[in-house]
Amino acid sequence: MKTPLQLPAWLAPIVPDKAQLLQPLRILGRGIRAGWRGIGQGLSRLPFMAQLKKAMPAFARTTTFKLTILYSAMIAAFFGALLIYLYYSTVYYIRQESENRITVEFEQLANAYYTGGMERLSQSVFERMTLSGSQFFYYLEDSSGRKIAGHFPRLPADPPTAGMKTVYFDFELPQADGTNTLRPAAGRIVRLRDNGGALMVAFDTAQQTVIVGRIRNAVYVAMPIALILSLAGGLLISRGAAKRADELAKTTEAVMGGELGRRMPVRGTGDEFDRLAQRLNAMLDQIQKLVESSRHTGNAIAHDLRSPLTRLRNRLELALSKPLSEDAANETLGTTLSEVDRVLDTFNAILRLARLDAGSEGTLARMDLSGLAEELAELFDPACEEANLSFKSQVAKNLVILGDKDLIGQALANLLDNAVKYTPSGGGISFTASRTPEGMIDLTVIDSGPGIPAEERGNVTQRFHRLDSARTLPGSGLGLALVESVAELHRGDLILDAGDGPPEKPGLKATLRLPRA
Amino acid sequence: MTLMETTMVETESTTSLKVLVIEDDNDMAGYIEKVLTDAGHKIERASDGASGLAKARAGDFDVLVVDRMLPEKDGLTLLQEFRAAGGTTPALFLSALDDVQNKVQGLRAGAEDYLGKPFAQAELAARVEALGRRQSGAEPPVTVLKAGDLEMNLLTRKVTRGGKKIDLQPREFRLLEYLMRHAGQVVTRTMLLEKVWDYNFDPQTNVIDVHISRLRAKIDKEFGEPLLQTVRGAGYRLQGQG
Repeated sequence: MKTPLQLPAWLAPIVPDKAQLLQPLRILGRGIRAGWRGIGQGLSRLPFMAQLKKAMPAFARTTTFKLTILYSAMIAAFFGALLIYLYYSTVYYIRQESENRITVEFEQLANAYYTGGMERLSQSVFERMTLSGSQFFYYLEDSSGRKIAGHFPRLPADPPTAGMKTVYFDFELPQADGTNTLRPAAGRIVRLRDNGGALMVAFDTAQQTVIVGRIRNAVYVAMPIALILSLAGGLLISRGAAKRADELAKTTEAVMGGELGRRMPVRGTGDEFDRLAQRLNAMLDQIQKLVESSRHTGNAIAHDLRSPLTRLRNRLELALSKPLSEDAANETLGTTLSEVDRVLDTFNAILRLARLDAGSEGTLARMDLSGLAEELAELFDPACEEANLSFKSQVAKNLVILGDKDLIGQALANLLDNAVKYTPSGGGISFTASRTPEGMIDLTVIDSGPGIPAEERGNVTQRFHRLDSARTLPGSGLGLALVESVAELHRGDLILDAGDGPPEKPGLKATLRLPRA
Repeated sequence: MTLMETTMVETESTTSLKVLVIEDDNDMAGYIEKVLTDAGHKIERASDGASGLAKARAGDFDVLVVDRMLPEKDGLTLLQEFRAAGGTTPALFLSALDDVQNKVQGLRAGAEDYLGKPFAQAELAARVEALGRRQSGAEPPVTVLKAGDLEMNLLTRKVTRGGKKIDLQPREFRLLEYLMRHAGQVVTRTMLLEKVWDYNFDPQTNVIDVHISRLRAKIDKEFGEPLLQTVRGAGYRLQGQG
């Protein structure tokens, strides 16, 4: 047999040690880590990435898609590692199994040799060779190297001078059609003790090759399927994500285009897109409220200032149309001046509200609310007496809040001023400052005036909104709006409710509720 | 600061002050000049920050009226530099921005008082006079304030008129103290709110008037000549120099 008796190269590390088995995993691990860093940085630095990015469909630019790619790579790596491990461990197992069987075979032949010598051994070899179904090949030679029995014309390698030796070789197997196929084999050659002869037992490793080949095929088939599946899954998911992002983007554009009422779709799945959409919707609600209120304010300013300015204009026109006595001129100028002052006051109030809304007014610091409340009670007490109103105040001690003294003062003054203004002579006002069980502080002004109908209570805090019944009284229609803005700035509330009076004249209970410091 | 009627601020008892008005808006500067001249004061004008600072340093003024927005050097910087160079002339800071933060900035930069535009002439005159008074009142600290036959002992906190003891609430005492320190001058409701109550907001209701009328009941009612006068459209004045 002239064929080279060598083992295919890929079978060389038949029994790889653990370190060798783990090596590919380690390399993979390193690769993944480096890749993780590299994908982000490296790819974006490549000069063609910018163009590529633009050319990519929307879904391919989503974070989900990038993650999908990464996961696919990881799945591929995992599969690869798993299959390599499987491959090596199977080969190892098969090899081990064959080795064991060769060992058993040798043990039986050795028995024959020790009981019957060379003669018995060669007989035993013959028997085994003729035994159908044997997976083993044999070869026996005497001490001079002459063949006694065996499948092969010669040994594939020189026998060792003593002990045993493992050999791998290829042999040709004649086929039915007359051709030969080359098959791999592995075997063990043992130098016979006492006698000098040599015995080889070998087996066909083609079966192993087939199994190894199957595993390899499995790798080749499974890898792309795994990759395709993970990529397809990723694509589906990222398309979903891209679609939702698109929905959000489209809604945003619609809002920017003026459809302030549009809202982000919420699917009710509670996922991150839903959460984002909900937050965006809350933001849009606030923006819409602000826009509407400023639109309303704009209209209201125009409306509210037009009447005094028209009156002003008419008065001046009249004054110019005829010569005036000094007294008449003074009177005209006096009323004009006070009218202008009222317009200016309204403007100041508007500016103040605007600054409050913009957050540029007010600096919150720890302040003694009890002190301020007591001072205001003291300030308003005489005014109430003057207006023939009874005034009761009860201020709890040591109320401390994080607040702006001037703004809180203005808000309380507005509430007290309203009470004085709208309570008819003979009525009463009570002012209390107290802690609530919920850990807030309530500043409450209750009057015995006409009160505000329940359906109007939501409106009176709107800018320039005035109850019909109040139109004749002085006021800008901004007082309660300012109180509410101040309450908001302090993370508090303005609560309007009916007072303690009879249903036809319930009075108003206005509570400024502020968080404790 | 509602001005109910046209006003003529009476000026008889106030001393004439030398006032430097640093204001770039000609109309506004003219208005200020007219108001203060009518009140009997001498005015000089500067229309930008740099020349204003130079004049303030060179001249011997009783009061500076400084606008916040000025060409070349804004009012805040001007005041800071003036104070840093040792200038002690009291200053009234004017600004269209009358919110509290701006006020605090102005006072920190070295202004003694602050007035938001638009303002009534009485308010301006009263504040300038209050500042001028402060300057000339660099005498040793007094323990007894006097206005006519009204006396206030700041140590014992005893108030008498014509020898007769008057009982005052703590707030009334502070109100009267401020009025007596500015005896002969007009003080506006806003000034009282700011200086006596330390409020920078408008309580709307005529709370100050009511407090004044209570005080008046105590110090004037049982005595012959009324000391606490209402100046129409402007504020109040306690008669008689201390």
